[in-house]
Amino acid sequence: MSAAGSIHPRERRLSLLVTVLAFALPVIFVLVPLAIFLVYSFFSVDQGTIVYTPTLGNYVRFFTDPIFLPVFWNTIVLCVSVAVICILLAYPAAYFLTTLKGRWRYALLMLLLVPLLMSYVIKIYAIRSILGLNGFLNKALVALGILQQPSNLFVFNMNAILLTLSLLLIPFAILPIFLSLERIPQTLLRASDDLGASGWQTFLRITLPLSLPGVASAASFVFVLAIGDFLTPQMVGGISGFTFGRILYSQFGTAYNWPFGAALSVALAIVVICAILVGERFGRNRGTSI
Amino acid sequence: MNQNTDLLTLRSVSKSYGTVPVLHDIDLSIKDGEFLTVLGPSGSGKTTVLRLIGGLEPLTAGEIRLDGQDISRMPINKRPFNTVFQDYALFPHMTVSGNVGYGLSVRHMKRKEITRRVAEALELVQLGRFADRFPAQLSGGQRQRVALARALICQPRLILLDEPLAALDLELRRQMQEFLKSIQREIKTTFLFVTHDQEEAIGMADRICVMQAGHIRQLGTPHDLYYKPNCEFVARFFGENNLVPGKLGPAQGEQRSIETALGRLVCSISDQPHLKAAPDGASAFAAFRPEALHMADATDSGNSFSGTIADLAFAGSSTVATITTGGDAAQRLRLRMPSRIDGSVLKSGETVSLCFAPHEGHLVLA
Amino acid sequence: MNALPRPSTIFLAAITALVAVLLYSPLFVPIVSSFFTISHGNVDWSSPTLATYVALAENHDILAALRTTLIVGVCTVILSVVSGTLLALYYHGRRSGRSFLQFIIFLPFLMPPIISGLALLIFFREIHLERSLLTVVIGHTVFVLAIVYRTVLMRLQSMSRTLVEASYDLGATGWQTFWRIILPNLSSAMVGGAILAFALSFDETMITILVTGTQSTLPVRLWAMMRLGFSPDINALVALILMFTVLLCVLAARFLIPRQMATERT
Repeated sequence: MSAAGSIHPRERRLSLLVTVLAFALPVIFVLVPLAIFLVYSFFSVDQGTIVYTPTLGNYVRFFTDPIFLPVFWNTIVLCVSVAVICILLAYPAAYFLTTLKGRWRYALLMLLLVPLLMSYVIKIYAIRSILGLNGFLNKALVALGILQQPSNLFVFNMNAILLTLSLLLIPFAILPIFLSLERIPQTLLRASDDLGASGWQTFLRITLPLSLPGVASAASFVFVLAIGDFLTPQMVGGISGFTFGRILYSQFGTAYNWPFGAALSVALAIVVICAILVGERFGRNRGTSI
Repeated sequence: MNQNTDLLTLRSVSKSYGTVPVLHDIDLSIKDGEFLTVLGPSGSGKTTVLRLIGGLEPLTAGEIRLDGQDISRMPINKRPFNTVFQDYALFPHMTVSGNVGYGLSVRHMKRKEITRRVAEALELVQLGRFADRFPAQLSGGQRQRVALARALICQPRLILLDEPLAALDLELRRQMQEFLKSIQREIKTTFLFVTHDQEEAIGMADRICVMQAGHIRQLGTPHDLYYKPNCEFVARFFGENNLVPGKLGPAQGEQRSIETALGRLVCSISDQPHLKAAPDGASAFAAFRPEALHMADATDSGNSFSGTIADLAFAGSSTVATITTGGDAAQRLRLRMPSRIDGSVLKSGETVSLCFAPHEGHLVLA
Repeated sequence: MNALPRPSTIFLAAITALVAVLLYSPLFVPIVSSFFTISHGNVDWSSPTLATYVALAENHDILAALRTTLIVGVCTVILSVVSGTLLALYYHGRRSGRSFLQFIIFLPFLMPPIISGLALLIFFREIHLERSLLTVVIGHTVFVLAIVYRTVLMRLQSMSRTLVEASYDLGATGWQTFWRIILPNLSSAMVGGAILAFALSFDETMITILVTGTQSTLPVRLWAMMRLGFSPDINALVALILMFTVLLCVLAARFLIPRQMATERT
């Protein structure tokens, strides 16, 4: 509504109101909470009450205590592995989708994305029962003769978290890769064929490089979602599957140390921001449009 | 309706976007009932002129007067002008009749009256059968006519058309040109038509205003612009032309000579006082159209010189020869002549004697 | 894509099938068990039953949680669609401050929910706002706002600027232009955004767990029950939610695919 020269006074008053709201809403409900949160990380707790004196104690504790850094590092490795597994499965599937024609392509894409909308808690529960001692996975492996007897290898440990998160997050990897593959102009592939490249060469030298931005954003997407998840590890991780998200959450529950939890969140946020920036940096598509 | 009264006057109108000037001190009068075309290459400021008149953009300086009243500050929705947009800007969620009736309905006109006038307007643009279609279901030419009906239903004093034919293919564009012209004659409303296509301008306009780089270069009838361009830009932009640089010689009555690399050429300067007033020795061009140039024979007393035929191009009804003339300042000229069924009389590489009549040549100051 | 040699096509199709199986297996388990009895990991295929659905209809605890979820969802949709649309209208075509505020709007969506949730938790505590359904609704709105904003903004950007100009040119006022031209052209994007917002709110678990009071939404209720194991009627609920979700999905696709594309096919 920016056409020239015709702003009524009533509309001007309204636009002033809208301006205030447009700035105030995001600031009050997003920026202020995050700022308070950051400030909290410099407080401390003494016998169940929060001490409002600034200190770097929480950060010192995070870096010096022998518990936190290893868990932090292990969690990062875990989430990178989740991202790798998701991409290894999602890339071929997304590529297959782009070989399909018209309606089939989108119908199948939809089919692969619908599970995203399905209740998250229920999925975790179902996956846990599949991975469990009496679950389908063990039954299948025993039936195939790979295992002698049902194993506890897949539940209540790090493996369980890895498998569950991967299963939950595959659709998030499919979509960006599919979109980047779909954006590659057909003429480029025709041109490559025309210049004598084999199908495999065309894939390695044209399709793959041009789809890497999609892979990068898929990886950062999956990584960020995995590292922020504190419910899945709690449900399928048992005692040995201890992740950073769980430690963080416990500071607001059983451990009751909000300031320390806030400091851990800052560490988490920094990793997440790095992952988003990396995804953004490599996810920008270079020259796929002519 | 009197073609001699001014409907709209632009006085010293300037426009800048930030610090970038796009229009410099424009003066322009639009006569009541005329079909005025603003012609110029892209970036010449022609669309800006239209947007300023329509009220889509504010002026930076100057004023716009309607019937002598300053309307520069009048809001867009109060101006008695309507626009046909380049992309038609049909409302996609309304039917054809919804689109056409919009201007009446926002003025709270009675539903019955709207229905009647929409039917009339659609009849005028021959789209009566399409009243209940949506824009997405129409062809380009039909959308164009809906946009026109929508603009003229409010009976504006002036209809502004922003390159409305640009998106149509050649055949349809020709039809639409005739159609627009006939509608304009029928409703006797003033049309301001913006285009970059000079053929379109010649075919439709009563007068043409040629713009370049934010300036008006010439305003006149198509005939004037074609035969009496007042500057090098118009002479080159408006149709194919041969321009030969030189220095002005003395004037003799309605003619004046110019010294060029082709020798002394004599050209007409009738009705062009500025050419009569220009000092001897001033830099200028002798300009003559390709169809004015022809093979010299013994009876020719005009401007003659010799040249070599570099290339012959058959273009259907006519054949165009590219001719190089010798000397230090080599010139490339074009000659257009009717094609002949038994082939051209000219041959590539041949040196020929050429001439054009003084009354078919004109002068342009450099 | 270019014609692939057959073995690679088969390989790709096989992986895609595997992915589909992996994605759907967690959904099939509860659906199958909603119709059949399962004991010790073995499905008793011989006796299909609707008993689980009957049990669900009598599980007042779950039904109350479902009602709470719907209330939260509807409030979230209303708040997020109204503010998201206003923000999109405001920031469309405006330069100053836009990228910064857009960044803020997107933060809760990009940040892990645990961070957004904890930040809100502390915020509510600091402003002495008791945890309740209101705090849940605020949490959900902040979370889904980015989606609605982006959906509406993208529609605005694809809308030709000349439509608004044409409306003014034909004599409409600012209000008339807004109600008769801008809003109708945004409506399908708003409905699409609303459906997405509802779907996200319906399943939001992590933020909700952190900011909820005594009344829990369905996912939080399920989360609490899961520690003890589910009763069979939950399977019936899952089956129903899946159907509902697919329906929503189809609806969202219908509203988010631009009108032109739909009419081009005719």
